[in-house]
Amino acid sequence: MRQTTLSVPLEVKPESCSCLTVLIDALKQREDKGANPEVENFARIVQFVPTLHFMSMSVFPASEYDPIFILEANFDGAPGPFWGQLEAVLGNDLRAILRCCKRPLDATGALYDAVVAPGSSAPVAPYLEARTQRPSVFHNGNRGLTRARISDDYALFLAARDELDKPAPEGGPHYHSLTPAALHKTLRAAMLPGHGWLSEPVPKRISTAENLADWMRLIVYVVLALVVLSSPGLLLASLVPGGGDLAIMGVVALIFFGLTYLNRHGLPGKEIKSRSNIPAFLLGQSGKFGLVAVIYVLGASIVITPIVWLATHLLPDSVIGPALGLPAAFWPTVHVVLLGFCSLLLLTVPLLLFLVRRDEMADSSQDAPNVNDGMLRDMLQREDWVVQNHMGSIVLIKPGILRMIIIRAGHLGLFLVLRLVARDGYLGSMRTVHFAHWAFLNNGSRLLFFSNFDHSWGSYLDDFIEKAHGGLTLAWGCGVGFPTTRFLVLDGASHGRQFKNWALASRAVSRFWYSAYPDLTVDQVERNNRIANGLRRTSMTDNEATQWMLDL
Amino acid sequence: MDVGPVMAPAPAPSWKLADTVAAQTQGLVVTGFGGLPAGRALLLHFGWPIGGAKKGFLDRLLAVAPITNATPPGDPTTQTRAASIAFTGTGLRQMGLPETALASFSRPFQEGMFQEDRLRRLGDRRDGNWLATVVKNGPVWSANTPLCTLPPVPAGAFVVPPVGAAEQDVDTEMTVHALLLLYTQDDAAAQSWTGAVQTVLAADDIVVVRTLDLKVDVGLAGGFSREHFGFADALSQPLPYDAGNAVLVNGQPAQQADPVQGVPLGEFLIGYIDGHHEKAPGPVVADDPVARDAGLLPSIEAEGFCDLGLNGSYLVARELKQDVAAFWRSMEKNAEAMRSRDPQNAAHITGAWLAERVIGRDKDGHLLCPANSVLPACSDGSPDSSFLFYDRDPHGAGCPAGSHVRRAFPRDALAPTANDRSTLLQAANNHRILRRGRKFGPKIADPTEDDGADRGLLFMCLNTDIERQFEFVQQTWLLNSSFATLFQEVDPLVGPAGRMSIRDEALRRTANVDTFVRMAGGDYFFLPSLPALRYLTNL
Repeated sequence: MRQTTLSVPLEVKPESCSCLTVLIDALKQREDKGANPEVENFARIVQFVPTLHFMSMSVFPASEYDPIFILEANFDGAPGPFWGQLEAVLGNDLRAILRCCKRPLDATGALYDAVVAPGSSAPVAPYLEARTQRPSVFHNGNRGLTRARISDDYALFLAARDELDKPAPEGGPHYHSLTPAALHKTLRAAMLPGHGWLSEPVPKRISTAENLADWMRLIVYVVLALVVLSSPGLLLASLVPGGGDLAIMGVVALIFFGLTYLNRHGLPGKEIKSRSNIPAFLLGQSGKFGLVAVIYVLGASIVITPIVWLATHLLPDSVIGPALGLPAAFWPTVHVVLLGFCSLLLLTVPLLLFLVRRDEMADSSQDAPNVNDGMLRDMLQREDWVVQNHMGSIVLIKPGILRMIIIRAGHLGLFLVLRLVARDGYLGSMRTVHFAHWAFLNNGSRLLFFSNFDHSWGSYLDDFIEKAHGGLTLAWGCGVGFPTTRFLVLDGASHGRQFKNWALASRAVSRFWYSAYPDLTVDQVERNNRIANGLRRTSMTDNEATQWMLDL
Repeated sequence: MDVGPVMAPAPAPSWKLADTVAAQTQGLVVTGFGGLPAGRALLLHFGWPIGGAKKGFLDRLLAVAPITNATPPGDPTTQTRAASIAFTGTGLRQMGLPETALASFSRPFQEGMFQEDRLRRLGDRRDGNWLATVVKNGPVWSANTPLCTLPPVPAGAFVVPPVGAAEQDVDTEMTVHALLLLYTQDDAAAQSWTGAVQTVLAADDIVVVRTLDLKVDVGLAGGFSREHFGFADALSQPLPYDAGNAVLVNGQPAQQADPVQGVPLGEFLIGYIDGHHEKAPGPVVADDPVARDAGLLPSIEAEGFCDLGLNGSYLVARELKQDVAAFWRSMEKNAEAMRSRDPQNAAHITGAWLAERVIGRDKDGHLLCPANSVLPACSDGSPDSSFLFYDRDPHGAGCPAGSHVRRAFPRDALAPTANDRSTLLQAANNHRILRRGRKFGPKIADPTEDDGADRGLLFMCLNTDIERQFEFVQQTWLLNSSFATLFQEVDPLVGPAGRMSIRDEALRRTANVDTFVRMAGGDYFFLPSLPALRYLTNL
């Protein structure tokens, strides 16, 4: 099932900012009847926006810009139906919110005018859809599980739990007396009447088309990256004929690796002896890298050879040389591709590393960012009511063309890799993120981050600091003021307290936050799903059932 | 694999601080004074108006109750008394510590434990109501920290009045400014010492608002004591190390972490490298002759200031009342219900069986292991606490996934795969506390009969980052309703009434435990170093 993560950032009229925050607070109070046990929290949204998993509305203050309002939504299916459903429930509230926002200068201005005109009843959905910002990276913890399925699995879990806790029937055996296979059969028979869908096959979480697309996009990305990174070698080969190119590359590699090596240390007292040894890790992966290299060199040569062959036939001899046969065109092509690949290792990578390190050493960090006490209190007041929490953050991005390229390419790569790697909900050894995304704002000068996660904010950040500091430093190290990094992945977020302060200072109050299943962690959603998938099967062997029963 | 002859593991090594550090540090950091089995906890209230302390009151107090430092006594058997002292934020303000210095303490200390959002995270109070794990009518003592008043915001032209409730000021009947701990060899000595201390205090307008008779009954191998429910207590403690040689184990500097219990010293002592690779930050005071004379060192980060925090720590105290009869009755009632639900297979379930699973260890402290066994003892007969969970008992077949010991320190149990074991163990060790609690109140004669007496545990622990350590343990481990893929269940021992899953053979069973432990008061204290204490005497 396709799932959509998006945000709608809208600039706020500074004079209307206070009014806007009050509007959002009031909307939250109206919909979330938390104190009244008779009414389900957010009952109208639960009922009338059945595709929605998580939604938030926040206003981010900034010292450099006017405030920005952001609506974040994570839902099943395409945006069209979602916006329609949301319009029906919150249309007029959203209109009041939009009146606090600035009119955009682009073509959507007319839509804005129509929506906010006095007495207007024009739908707000088209405007919000037109102003939608797509994420640069996103992650779904329970990818492919629709909201309806999560609810069904949950209801089944509760029913099965009660069933197992029942006393043994008069004269009959308790579940503890049954063999695992018989227990599965008996429990299934007890659950079927109330959960008829158990007789249907397990729906596919990731369709074949989606799967194929995930793979294709990553392959194209890797190939393009290799081509771009090896282009200096190709250029050099054409300028320096006859073997001199390799010698030049060797010298360049020595110089830049040497300079980078001299700059390898962090500030005294700020360098962290990481438990992860990156060179050792890279060496350990050398088999995989070698395989990719061989596939790339052969694949690229096979693709390029016919082009060379054709060129030698079509173009005059004076341009590219005499016409060649296919085999004769192949070997020179392999030679050039290989040379390009060597330049990746000997020219591009050492140069990039040197430049990155040079930038890092000149970067300023903000060890003690200012955290507004009033805003902090507003955040804390809204946290830790259920097992899930929400955070939104905006940071400025460090300037420079190299950094811009690294961020953009890095985010794209991270996104494509996550699509393939993070399919079982785990990010590294963490499984606490339901929906999270990054997006670029203001022509790529600001980075937005939203996350709907399990447990407290402190434990969420500790998880990152303790278990995934490298990846986090890579993804967020581009932020202005981020704790000092080394080689994009070292130090940085490992400075736990500094990093937490920095992240805290970038946050805004999650004034309106909706979760369709606030009691369920990512882990519990998967557990419910494993139980349900087991009960969909008509029978199991004892061994299979024993394994499956660990979740009961 | 050659494992050699099976040997009982050595008991956990004891550690101490290097001499120069030990001389400046309160003894409570390195020891719970187990050799002094009696004692008193005196909760003090300073009766004077802010800044109106009688000159020299602390000197007079320290003269009658000299604070023990962390230098080990030459012959422990000759040690007859020991004392420790710690102050709340309101206490330090009362003593005249300047506002700038108060503002340099960590946020949780400044706000106090009874800040509304903190109480919610700690599972004590929600939506303005005290929860079941708090004594009836609410706790009776705290620091009574006033609400943090934000600086007035100048009226803006476009400001709209906010909606929603303002923060509540949560107050208790008694206001505690300091905690004085006295340790003695017997109760009579504790009694007479307390009397002498009280006489001095009374002359200086200091009221002892609450007295708890602390005790340990060291009868178990390894010097462990039983808590009131009857189980061996305080078995598993972190083992500090320090790259700068401030910690000695077996007389040698401990620069490397113990594989299971190793935690950097900065987690417990301000000024040393902590688990997040940073010097644990502490409060500072202006660099002046008073500070220098007291022996405070100039701060490296803040020019013009001296470190008040160095070699000090934050002490979390919570008075937890234990209802022993309710505990054992609930165990018996549940065991009976479980047997009657499943007469054919549940004959082995007794109150004691269930109680051991609530704790996760047997009554003598040995870890429950799969196949109804327990972990063999150390060579001295004491319970072994150097175990890991992932390989031994991944699904909680022996020690239930939601048992108290597994929640209080999950070790590597939360690792999703074998490859993550070491990462998860390291991560868990970033949330350790050094427990220094003692029980109070009389031993119950018949554990199933309520005798109406007040008894419980004065929970005390040391840590330098209250949020990442004590509060994390309470919120993310003990009271987390989704801990370790459990659902809607919290710590069966210290949490509110609710369900507990216990794996029994292939299938789990459910118990419905009651509330046995209720908080009667508590707060965050600053445990000063001896130079910092000297500085405070000169305020």
